[in-house]
Amino acid sequence: MSPVLSIENYRLEYRSSGTAFRALDDVSLTIGPGEVLGLVGESGSGKSSLAAAIMRLLPPNSREGGGTIRFQGEDLRAMGPRQLRSVRGRRIAMVFQDPSSALNPTLTLGRQVSEVLETHRGLTPPEARAEALAMLRHVEIKDPEALFARYPHEASGGEKQRVVIAAAFACHPELVLLDEPTTALDVLTGARILELVRRLRAQIGMAGLYISHDLALVSRVADRIAVIRGGRIVEEQPAATIFRNPRHPYTRLLAEAAPRPDRRLTTDEAGAEPLLGLDSLSVRYDRRGVFRRRAATGAENVSFTIREREVLGVIGESGSGKSSLARALAGLVRFEGTIRFTGRSVKGPGAMDRAYRRAVQIVFQSPDSSLNPRQRVREILARPLKMFGGNVAEIPRLLDEVRLAPNYAARYPHELSGGEKQRVAIARAFAARPRLVICDEITAALDVSMQASVIELLLALRAAHDTAYLFITHDLNLIAEVAHRVAVMYRGRLVDLLPVAQLREGDVHPYTGALIAASPLPVTA
Amino acid sequence: MNGWLHQLIRTRHGVLGLIILAPVALAVVLGPQLAPNDPNAISFLARFSSPSFHHWLGTDEFGRDLLSRILVGARESVGTALSATLLGTLSGAILGTASAYVGGRADEAIMRTIDAIMAIPALLLALLVLSTLGKGATDATLAIAISFAPGMARITRSVALAARHQDYVSAAIARGEGSGWIVFREMGPNVIAPVVVESTIRVAFAVMLVASLSFLGLGAQPPAPEWGLMIAEGREYLDQAPWMIIAPGAAIALTAIGFNLLGDGLRDALNPRVGR
Amino acid sequence: MSAGWFARRVLLIGYTLLVVSLVVFAVTEILPADAAVVILGQNATPAALAAVRARLGLNDPAWLQYWHWLWPALHGNFGISMRTDQPVGPEMFAALGRSLLLAAGAIFLMLVVAIPLGLAAALGRGRSIDLLAGLISYLGVSLPEFVTATLLLMIFADRLGWLPATGYVPLTQNPLAGLSHLALPALTVALVLIAHVSRMLRSEMIDVLASEYVRAARLKGLPWRIVIFRHALRNALLPVITVVALDVGYVLGGIIVVEEIFAIPGIGRALIVAIEARDLPAIQAAAVIMAATYAGVNFLADIAYALLDKRIRYE
Repeated sequence: MSPVLSIENYRLEYRSSGTAFRALDDVSLTIGPGEVLGLVGESGSGKSSLAAAIMRLLPPNSREGGGTIRFQGEDLRAMGPRQLRSVRGRRIAMVFQDPSSALNPTLTLGRQVSEVLETHRGLTPPEARAEALAMLRHVEIKDPEALFARYPHEASGGEKQRVVIAAAFACHPELVLLDEPTTALDVLTGARILELVRRLRAQIGMAGLYISHDLALVSRVADRIAVIRGGRIVEEQPAATIFRNPRHPYTRLLAEAAPRPDRRLTTDEAGAEPLLGLDSLSVRYDRRGVFRRRAATGAENVSFTIREREVLGVIGESGSGKSSLARALAGLVRFEGTIRFTGRSVKGPGAMDRAYRRAVQIVFQSPDSSLNPRQRVREILARPLKMFGGNVAEIPRLLDEVRLAPNYAARYPHELSGGEKQRVAIARAFAARPRLVICDEITAALDVSMQASVIELLLALRAAHDTAYLFITHDLNLIAEVAHRVAVMYRGRLVDLLPVAQLREGDVHPYTGALIAASPLPVTA
Repeated sequence: MNGWLHQLIRTRHGVLGLIILAPVALAVVLGPQLAPNDPNAISFLARFSSPSFHHWLGTDEFGRDLLSRILVGARESVGTALSATLLGTLSGAILGTASAYVGGRADEAIMRTIDAIMAIPALLLALLVLSTLGKGATDATLAIAISFAPGMARITRSVALAARHQDYVSAAIARGEGSGWIVFREMGPNVIAPVVVESTIRVAFAVMLVASLSFLGLGAQPPAPEWGLMIAEGREYLDQAPWMIIAPGAAIALTAIGFNLLGDGLRDALNPRVGR
Repeated sequence: MSAGWFARRVLLIGYTLLVVSLVVFAVTEILPADAAVVILGQNATPAALAAVRARLGLNDPAWLQYWHWLWPALHGNFGISMRTDQPVGPEMFAALGRSLLLAAGAIFLMLVVAIPLGLAAALGRGRSIDLLAGLISYLGVSLPEFVTATLLLMIFADRLGWLPATGYVPLTQNPLAGLSHLALPALTVALVLIAHVSRMLRSEMIDVLASEYVRAARLKGLPWRIVIFRHALRNALLPVITVVALDVGYVLGGIIVVEEIFAIPGIGRALIVAIEARDLPAIQAAAVIMAATYAGVNFLADIAYALLDKRIRYE
């Protein structure tokens, strides 16, 4: 059978101020009827450029360097604007990464589905409305009539992604491009969206291109997988075998880097002595002003103890209170309750003395806002060294510990990559010779391979300095690899606290159970 | 901040702004020395001369050389604008930073009051202040500074608040830094750049305000060679000597364009995230 | 729009008016050591000064003076003009009407020119239309109104003779003459606005065109005009509403100068006349009315914005 999409020897460059950057280099791919091809790569690999090239919506500074893109035998590159409009949205549709930005904030959700039907199937507005309602029902929206009239900000992330999917599937396309459709969603919602995509595929039987950075995830939805790096396809093989049998070194790296609950990276036990304890700690955010008054809760009555050298994983979705906990421990927000530390009781940020602040360090999620853009790495590291009895001469050693060359001391943050910035932030924390480091989603903004090397670095530092970690993440598989115990936060409360080994043994809070079900193992069999 | 000048001359706007402002700066510093004639020398024989070799920009109704008047007047027109902006920026920045720092209800009250004061248009507020202070250049400086302060306070506060919520400030608080370090070392350098950009653009507005006040008869008084005043005087001779308006009008416009361009250039140059 | 949100807005505008009246009163009557000297000048006789002080109640404590001024002012009574011996209020409100007509003309001209210009500049980014728009906007924000006004007068009234130079004809009396007298003043005020708004719309439009939802709209295969007008322009115009409302402040400032040049008997000219005559009640009335108008326009803009942008109601 002839392929739905076939790309041959396609090249693409971006030019800016005289320099050319090769985004896609000699790319060849085919997708057969009813087949889903997974395209896996990290940021900057060219996977989004390929989607843009197929949809013929390339940025103005791009130059195509030859090759063909054929859809059902027709040359997409030769099509004029008019022909393209009859292909886009009707025969090739796209599902986007972040539904919040892919939906127009000033149009109702229903309108954004029905306008596709009006344009491509020539339906009158009432017909399009009826059809759109049916489509919303089809993507399992509970009350389509109500949702139809709502605006994007009035819907949840999952509902919005369902609307995007409804618009994409409304005209029964022959090919659907899915660009990381679950990445911007929380774990449980993402799992449900994935389930929906699978079901629609089974019903409609369209061909698909599933783009993602997550090899484990793609191996569960795609038939075949292509791995892209630096604009080149480095490997292509069936999804069922790629994890077990990666041929290219880069694929092997990606397979190795994917967190797997069946693999332990932390091999030793935690110490027996308690290091730091929380006694019914609550964080409340008060937003009071002359003309407004509102209070919200960040965390409610949380109690637990971290032991010496323990890695305590904290998991929960955004808004579950896990970051409030981190900020309370770091003395950044006011809290009620008590923190017990080396036999003393700390009742508020004001009561945290230099010894406490030295011993408890924090590393933040966003590499971009974590370092002062107007300070060099040297200044960033010198300050905690001076404050906590270190010596500026230790900077090269600190940099070496986080595997950065000594000449990085003279650089500004904007001269560093995301992973390098996080290493500097880790070095800043370790400059204080801490006993507990709070890691607040520190790998969430990083690529998989970068995440693996940061995790490996953290564990090496722990081995060298006997540090304990409060490791906050939304990735249960990652926690299962590194933590001794896991604390599950749900709506501000601690609902589970148990050794990692007991996670899959059943007796857990329903929310924890749902998280486990939504964090499947990669296909290795 | 190192090499920001170097950065500035790499932006197209910045270079253009500097090129336009260079002669303006020269006139402000050396205007009286550069002027070919005495700006107030009256010559009835040379009344209403059109631009010529002897009078490059022509003369006015008293035969005074317009080029000399513009060169000498630069110090008053641009100097007043600069000092008024500086004064307004400083007082506004202090108020805005303080408001952001104390936070809570006091901050909210200060900001609502500043919003309310900003309901009085700048020119109106300046006119009100002048109507009681009296007429003259010093009073105009003060009036413009007062009318700029609330806006600058608002901008400084929002920039400071944005900086306050950055993780590097959280990191400093978490390691127990004092407020002095946090305000001056962590937040300060990140707050100053946008404030400098805004106040540069405001100098352009101040130049126009100074001229407008003089034009309305409330700023500099005759026979001062202030640019706005020159236009007011030239208005009666629109038919016979349009250069009396075009010359000072062009001086005002070029200076304002120069500061607008310079501000846009600084905005790009002072952005730490743009490649160095 | 929730009731709480609306109540907060109403409270805020009340507070704004309170602060404005305080500032105006403080600047004109409390700040100068002796308002009587401000009114009569340095060379006034002690007897004359005493008479003015008694008439203005300057011997009362400041808060009482403020109250004696504010309470009638709330009822539209701003006292008796020292220049004309007539009540200030009615005269000022009539002048405000003429100024608002001028402002409306300017804003109309601005909308007609700035929206297409900003849109064209954004769509033709980097091409000649964009450069032209950039030039216009730099010139517009760099030329003071009195310079533009004088230049326009020189060209259209003196040289070409197309439009009358100065003066004001009520629209009710002769619509055509009224409009032709308003054309140059309105154009003067509009130029600054065109510069500012077209530049703002251009940058908003460029941001919106690069947004994910406009990309999504194009990838749905929607026709060009639907993508531009339904998806992009609508969102780009929203922030412009706020800017236009804030620009009314510039308009009011500009109107002071423009009315003076074109001899339009509006509130700006009334203010200048009052300042020259040291007519304190008139100065206060003009200032408070202008600031209140500005605050009112922004209040309306806030509500319009909330009606158009559904997100605002939860903030």
